[in-house]
Amino acid sequence: MIAEAGHLFLIIAFALSVLQIFVPTYGIINQKPDMLAATATIALFASGFVFAAFLALMHGFVTSDFSIALVAEHSHSSKPMIYKISGLWGNHEGSLLLWILILCLFGAVLAARFKTIPARFKARILGVQGVIATAFIAFSLFTSNPFARLANAPLDGRGLNPVLQDPGLAMHPPMLYIGYVGLSLAFAFAVAGLIEGHIDTLWARWVRPFILAAWCALTLGIGLGSWWAYYELGWGGWWFWDPVENASLMPWLVATALLHSVLVLERRGALKSWTVLLAILAFSLSLLGTFIVRSGILVSVHSFASDPSRGVFILAILLVAIGIPLALFAWRGPKLTSAADFGIISREGMLIVNNLLLVSSAVVVLTGTLYPLAYELANGGKISVGPPYFIATFNPLLALMAIGMAIGPLFAWRNQPLGRLRRIFSFMALAALVGMISYVFGQNQTGVAAIAAAGIIIWLVAGIIADIAVRVQLFKVPVAHSWRRFTGLPVAIHAVTVAHFGFALFLFGAVADSYHRSETIIRAKANSVIALPDTVMGQGRYVEFAGVEAREGPNYITQTALLSLHDKNALKLGTLTPEIRRFPVEQQTTSEAAIRSRLSGDLYAVLGDGNQTIGWTLRIYQNPFIGFIWIGAIVMAFGGGLAMVGGRRHKTTNDTTS
Amino acid sequence: MNRATFIIPLFGFLVIALIAGWALFGMLDGQRSDNQLPSALLNKPAPSTILPDLDSQQIDLSQFKGHPILVNYFASWCAPCRAEAPALALLSKRIKIVGIAYKDRHEDTQKFLTEYGNPFGAVLVDKDGMAAISWGVYGVPETFVLDSSGTVLLRHAGPITRKVLEQDIEEVLEDLKL
Repeated sequence: MIAEAGHLFLIIAFALSVLQIFVPTYGIINQKPDMLAATATIALFASGFVFAAFLALMHGFVTSDFSIALVAEHSHSSKPMIYKISGLWGNHEGSLLLWILILCLFGAVLAARFKTIPARFKARILGVQGVIATAFIAFSLFTSNPFARLANAPLDGRGLNPVLQDPGLAMHPPMLYIGYVGLSLAFAFAVAGLIEGHIDTLWARWVRPFILAAWCALTLGIGLGSWWAYYELGWGGWWFWDPVENASLMPWLVATALLHSVLVLERRGALKSWTVLLAILAFSLSLLGTFIVRSGILVSVHSFASDPSRGVFILAILLVAIGIPLALFAWRGPKLTSAADFGIISREGMLIVNNLLLVSSAVVVLTGTLYPLAYELANGGKISVGPPYFIATFNPLLALMAIGMAIGPLFAWRNQPLGRLRRIFSFMALAALVGMISYVFGQNQTGVAAIAAAGIIIWLVAGIIADIAVRVQLFKVPVAHSWRRFTGLPVAIHAVTVAHFGFALFLFGAVADSYHRSETIIRAKANSVIALPDTVMGQGRYVEFAGVEAREGPNYITQTALLSLHDKNALKLGTLTPEIRRFPVEQQTTSEAAIRSRLSGDLYAVLGDGNQTIGWTLRIYQNPFIGFIWIGAIVMAFGGGLAMVGGRRHKTTNDTTS
Repeated sequence: MNRATFIIPLFGFLVIALIAGWALFGMLDGQRSDNQLPSALLNKPAPSTILPDLDSQQIDLSQFKGHPILVNYFASWCAPCRAEAPALALLSKRIKIVGIAYKDRHEDTQKFLTEYGNPFGAVLVDKDGMAAISWGVYGVPETFVLDSSGTVLLRHAGPITRKVLEQDIEEVLEDLKL
């Protein structure tokens, strides 16, 4: 009964989102203000019904109602409750419903709050959002109904793919969807703005919180995904340049560009058409990502829920949802003129450089992701574009971004005489040089790329410190005064510092791991000692392998290896128990890596196959400072959150300190 | 800025949509298959696989280590699998073949083997197709060649045609000195 009610709620929500397109259009054409107010009410009701439908499906998963096909396919009565719940979005139909729910909730937030946005403009935005909601609810109802019943309910379900039974992955899709869907609002703002011809500093102020919210969620979502891939896939790596990973990275890159360009628009009224284009592209890339993941046109290690026939529907949505706005942009874009004048050497100029680098890197990723298809189209053969391409193209852009990021905030708006910054730049360069020299001699590092990367990170951190130092006039006025200035800085300034520092942390983790990791693959018998290579994490460390024992989990049985880590003085530092889990219901085995995480790095052990007589294969990685990758992502997202707070507090005051 | 500049994004998108549409529709009507798809497993250790054989004895795939093996996902209900039976028979003279019966009924598998010959050194049963997920199997038939350490050297989705046999597989077998 409840599932049927859920299905009915979704149908009602579909009807409401169709209304959400036509009511505001009718109201604007015939100038009926009550119609505009009604649009907000419709959006609220639509989200209410989608929420009810979502709860109905949740009820099916929580109570293990196996007469619902989706529950029977993707759940099992013996599963822990958290995975029963996350089982809802561990599949195509359910995750689509979650996508729609987040879309409608964003619409409801816009409808209920943000009173400063004029009713007419708000109705336009909700109308555009209605188009997206209609398309996706239709997609759900007509091709992927999550409420379909089975004629004969099985006694128990088939279970969730064990690889997906994981706390990190339980949270990964919701975060990522908040990011993708948040970008849909920026997109709706852009389309509404193009139709109304209303793109100005006010527009930028309205849209910025949504961009920031989406960006924070996307940052955390990608971080969670990479963390999951790191500890769950058992390959010791954290980013594989896989199409599905790229699909989430591209919107992030463009959203990052957008969040900087909208700053220029809000402050200086410049970059209008460019900002609008970025807003359209950021969401377009989210849709393209969804298409790539769901259609299976590209092969990925992450394609758990792909089906080409559904791809046709998404491709149709793609053509309408991206093609029409871009056509609108080609038509209306030239009319958006910016009056602001500024020199090339200025904050605006630096932000344009930032945008060009970010968009270039998104193009590089897009090219690498789609190149196999283009190649196949042209030559008929299949190829795969792997890490070598991305390392050669993406990393240099990333390096340039870090170099520019260090000095960008030091530049003044409009025009920056370079002479004044010369002293700061020499201080930063000196810091980088000292750092690089001590790195070369301290670690016997001879790799040019590694040394350059180290220099860039120190340059970046020095730049962040210099920016604050200049703002608080450190050592120019008494320290107590500086401190007062520091606490008095607008939150928006702290937001920039924190987000950029988060990026520095990320870069540090990524660079340290790629140049200092070690990998040991060995077949060992019980009660043997495995020596580990010397790394920055420690020298002369070794692992004792006591053997493998069987254990029992809630819905699996394991083979668990008993390892203990010792330092060079034979002091026991800790134990590691990598496992092979066998899920009897799903008839599948997964390998669970054991990870000993410290700030100085992770010891990462994976149990392979083997037996008592021939021994077991063990893979042991030492990943120095790798945790900083995810700490950096959290700090970046925190910076984004501060920017949201700062944007609200300082609606009128201008930042004049730089 | 020139008006034409503003059309570039639309143009770029249409190009991408064309490529994506071509790939998608090619896949739907079978023109574009996933043969020689680059596999995430390539040059990586094969996923640990423990499956029952036809006598319900649990077999660990890693027990075949020490010699190169060819792993073939097949099913009695799959027509291309019948087509590639002679190719497998040829190959079985040079390399040990482990067959994995994919989503198949026990008695059908037996019948299939008596009818089309049994080139397999061992037959494992993947009744739910769950092991196939960890191998990234796209559909049956699908063939992997593993070296003696269990590293995947080749993945071929689709039936083993003469061309695949004489070029791709031959190349790997020669590298393995078989």
